[in-house]
Amino acid sequence: MSLKNVLAVALGILSAIGGFVDIGDLVFNVEAGATFGYQLLWVVVIGVAGIVVYSEMCGRVAAVAKRPVFDLVRERTGFSAGLATLAASQVVNLMTCAAEIGGVAICLQLLSGLPYRVLIPLAVVGLAVASWLLPFEWIERVFGYLGLCLLVFAVAAIKLHPDWGRVAHGFVPGSHTGGSLSVYLYFVVGLLGAAMTPYEVYFYSSGAVEDGWGLKELGLNKVTAMIGYGLGGFLSFALMIVAGTLFLPLGIEPQFLGTPALGAEEALGQVGLLLALVGILFAVGGAAIETCFSGAYNTAQFFGWHWGKKERPAGAARFTLAWVVIFTLAFLVVMSGYDPVKLTEYSVIFSVVALPLTYLPILLIANDRSYMGSKVNGKLANVLGVLYFVVILAIAVAAIPLMLITHGGQG
Amino acid sequence: MALLASGCGGGGTLSAKALTRQSTSLESLAAEGALLARHAGGGKTTRIFTRVHSEYLYEAASQAASSLRTAKTEPALEPKLRRVASLAGKISADLKRVGHASKAEQPRLARELEAAAEELK
Repeated sequence: MSLKNVLAVALGILSAIGGFVDIGDLVFNVEAGATFGYQLLWVVVIGVAGIVVYSEMCGRVAAVAKRPVFDLVRERTGFSAGLATLAASQVVNLMTCAAEIGGVAICLQLLSGLPYRVLIPLAVVGLAVASWLLPFEWIERVFGYLGLCLLVFAVAAIKLHPDWGRVAHGFVPGSHTGGSLSVYLYFVVGLLGAAMTPYEVYFYSSGAVEDGWGLKELGLNKVTAMIGYGLGGFLSFALMIVAGTLFLPLGIEPQFLGTPALGAEEALGQVGLLLALVGILFAVGGAAIETCFSGAYNTAQFFGWHWGKKERPAGAARFTLAWVVIFTLAFLVVMSGYDPVKLTEYSVIFSVVALPLTYLPILLIANDRSYMGSKVNGKLANVLGVLYFVVILAIAVAAIPLMLITHGGQG
Repeated sequence: MALLASGCGGGGTLSAKALTRQSTSLESLAAEGALLARHAGGGKTTRIFTRVHSEYLYEAASQAASSLRTAKTEPALEPKLRRVASLAGKISADLKRVGHASKAEQPRLARELEAAAEELK
């Protein structure tokens, strides 16, 4: 591998790390840490491994079949099942996109002091202009690299001097203390849902097709999925450790997007605060664009429209219109005044319900020789894929009842 | 939001569980306000962040205070309800001040909010 390729892979990994955390990860990891300390770290490991397994499959499908997942979903499952998957994913995408936009506006407010409702349209226009003008790679990298400011939480986690023995113990599933079983299970479901959000795999797969991946990129696919997402999971650990070390002993139940920043501020003062806010801003901003594009990709691929960020807007007019419409709808949702943090909790829980519709077709297609030839799933990918699918089914069934029983994790 | 979810959307009858949930939520707001005030007093945060974030905390606390003022509960819980409602009013007043207080004033506000959080435990 040439130095240029190594650099390209390294840059891709960096943007994957920076782009890993979205508002769902922020909310659930911090709330889980503030409620149960480090006891749920093992769930993050399982969630991150799950997204690695299925992203690798999606990237492989895109590289071998040269077609994105949603295109194949309709072909493989038929119109009705495909339409149900599309509808479910669009509802979740819209809710998530709205939550991310609300998150961008709150971060801008915490940085500038301007009114929230003035910043919502500014955030949407800024994101739409960036989406229109910047090439695909630039969008990924600008937001991914600046999202790396979230590494401040890793530094904060160390500087807050957690009990590392208890942190290590958190990676082992077991009995819990500090809250009811139903709340504990609610956070298990939420953390898995936040880590395995459907839009991530759709975006990843469509991005691979946009980048023209072929058989030569199968190695890059493995490395990006495993190392990028794997290391991105460290940001989730850091958020949970900060919350468990600082917020839990003080009795703080994080309800606001500014609360996690207090953790960076406690450890590193104003520099920590600013890095945390900039990191959150670009992480949720990048995720807003990803969810919006994911929705447009899915729609265009399902209906067989010409699509692609690399196309000129007029060259893929319906695709362009689709993402503009999604941004507009998300804008209207946020302007309705609904709390982005609460919206995030709902979007993550509803995405859990829709997870089987996303991941089953991927598993089926990755095993279909008519699409994949000799690159079908190996034994390990199948064992993990099936195992995760069972987990996904279980949490999909449990998600809504747990949300209702626990009043959204409040016991 | 947590307060609305707990079944106190404005003057309803509170169960023991709902009152405890309200109290816990207020304790959290007070503790978070105290942390923010401590940071502001120690020069660890920016003026803008202090003003905006304390405004979020204040809005949640004042919403709780106004709904608790008109809430009813079973007779045995009345003293607790009155105590929580009184603390809610005090916490929301302190949180409002955090956003605009001088650096010298912040440690006192932090202590008051810490004390209120402690009382709600």
